Amino acid sequence: MRKDRPFLEIFTYALDEDYRFPILEIFAFLFALGTFVFVDLGAYSGQTKEALAYSLVSTLCGYPLLFIFVVLILKNVAYGLGSDLDRGVMQTLFSYPLKRRYILTARLLSGLGVALLLFFGIQIFGLFLLAPDVILTYPSTVFLTYAAQLCSPVLLLAGLVLFFTLRLKRGGLALVIGVVLFLAGLIVSGFVTSIAYGTGSDLSLKIWAVINPNSALQRYYMGTSGFLFGGESWVPSFSELLLYLGAGYLIVAVLFIVGYIYFDRRLEI
Amino acid sequence: MRWVTLLGRIGTVILMIGLALLVASRINPTTGYTGHRAPISPEKYHVMHSQVYTPQTGFQISVESTDNIRVYLLGISPVELDNWRTLLRETYPDLDEIFIEFHAVPMIFFHEVYPEEILPNLDDPQTWDMMWDVAVLDKGLQTYPEIVLWESPPSTTLSHEFISTDELYITVMVANPSFNTVEVETKISDLTALAGKERVTLAAKLLISIGIALAIPWLILRKVKKSTL
Repeated sequence: MRKDRPFLEIFTYALDEDYRFPILEIFAFLFALGTFVFVDLGAYSGQTKEALAYSLVSTLCGYPLLFIFVVLILKNVAYGLGSDLDRGVMQTLFSYPLKRRYILTARLLSGLGVALLLFFGIQIFGLFLLAPDVILTYPSTVFLTYAAQLCSPVLLLAGLVLFFTLRLKRGGLALVIGVVLFLAGLIVSGFVTSIAYGTGSDLSLKIWAVINPNSALQRYYMGTSGFLFGGESWVPSFSELLLYLGAGYLIVAVLFIVGYIYFDRRLEI
Repeated sequence: MRWVTLLGRIGTVILMIGLALLVASRINPTTGYTGHRAPISPEKYHVMHSQVYTPQTGFQISVESTDNIRVYLLGISPVELDNWRTLLRETYPDLDEIFIEFHAVPMIFFHEVYPEEILPNLDDPQTWDMMWDVAVLDKGLQTYPEIVLWESPPSTTLSHEFISTDELYITVMVANPSFNTVEVETKISDLTALAGKERVTLAAKLLISIGIALAIPWLILRKVKKSTL
């Protein structure tokens, strides 16, 4: 038997489970429709061209669409993996001649990888249709914006929910926790600026930028113009921005490593 | 069988993306609406609307009046507008900043006609009358013909749709060239263009065709398999 055969078997099984007809089609329709409906081509007018490129991309993958995407990711990671643990399917998967970490990789490649491919494929296609000059003139801005959005909330939540699913062995509860954390993130992002204004310190903004690098990106491109207490707020430099993005991905990497170690060594079925 | 399933599922996904594009291209892009009604004195003009528009955003304007009027759509780049505002600040240092912000274009036109005026006293009705004179507008338009994006023929009812291709500060001016006061009603609806409807519709049709071609073998196979079971 070829070495990659069991991996492909598990990957195919995961694809079948995660994207039963017509789940994938419904999400593809929602992503494509949302990309064109939620885009605000007139947002933040009067800013620099780079800021316009940033605002276009960030409205293209704004919160309503991002929420649908997060729901798909959480469904796959929490519900998909959770039901495998709950129904005893994982025991069967463990009988394959494959290391545990490869089983989890196959599961995540289906649950996360395919969803990311679908979402960003539609986004880039939409961007090419809506404003081809933006993607060709400012590829680094487009890349950084998507990288920040991908880091938090998408991968950060996926990492957290993965750990909760493995720890609780109940997908439903982990899914609820994921949705609550997503909504909590929205509420906190609203409070952070007022905390900074109230305390007269940028510390809360900087801590939040580590967890959510998109807030640093927004301040870098838009300055303080889009904020309620703009005059008092902090604007990072480009090198600081890369540092916050790196820190965000470091947190995501740590979460996934913890999930892998737990799955590899501590998970008992 | 697996290849047919894989291609079939890719086909159904492409088909759904195509259908979504088709739906999106049919959605009414109007996002906001403002209405304005005002009398315009004989041989005077008004600024009816001014705003910065980014590429693929714009508006639809419809104007109704009791007598023939002319409508001008003027577009100035933000850099040029900044230059004009700087020039106005230097020429009229005591002038209110808000006035320069909102009336940079009429002020520049006024400056063209009356360059020797040190400071237009805006509380003086005579100066105010001079500023909004059709002759001032005509002189301004002659001096800066490159900013005129659209000019209507004299009419009592007209409608025009504008979608910006660049970042522009747009000013809509309505002139009353007659010797009577004219009642003018302006309606402006914001528009957002979907990257040219033709391009989106073409992409949608292409995706739907590819999607159907890829999905049909899988759907037939699926039906055959179900009926056999």
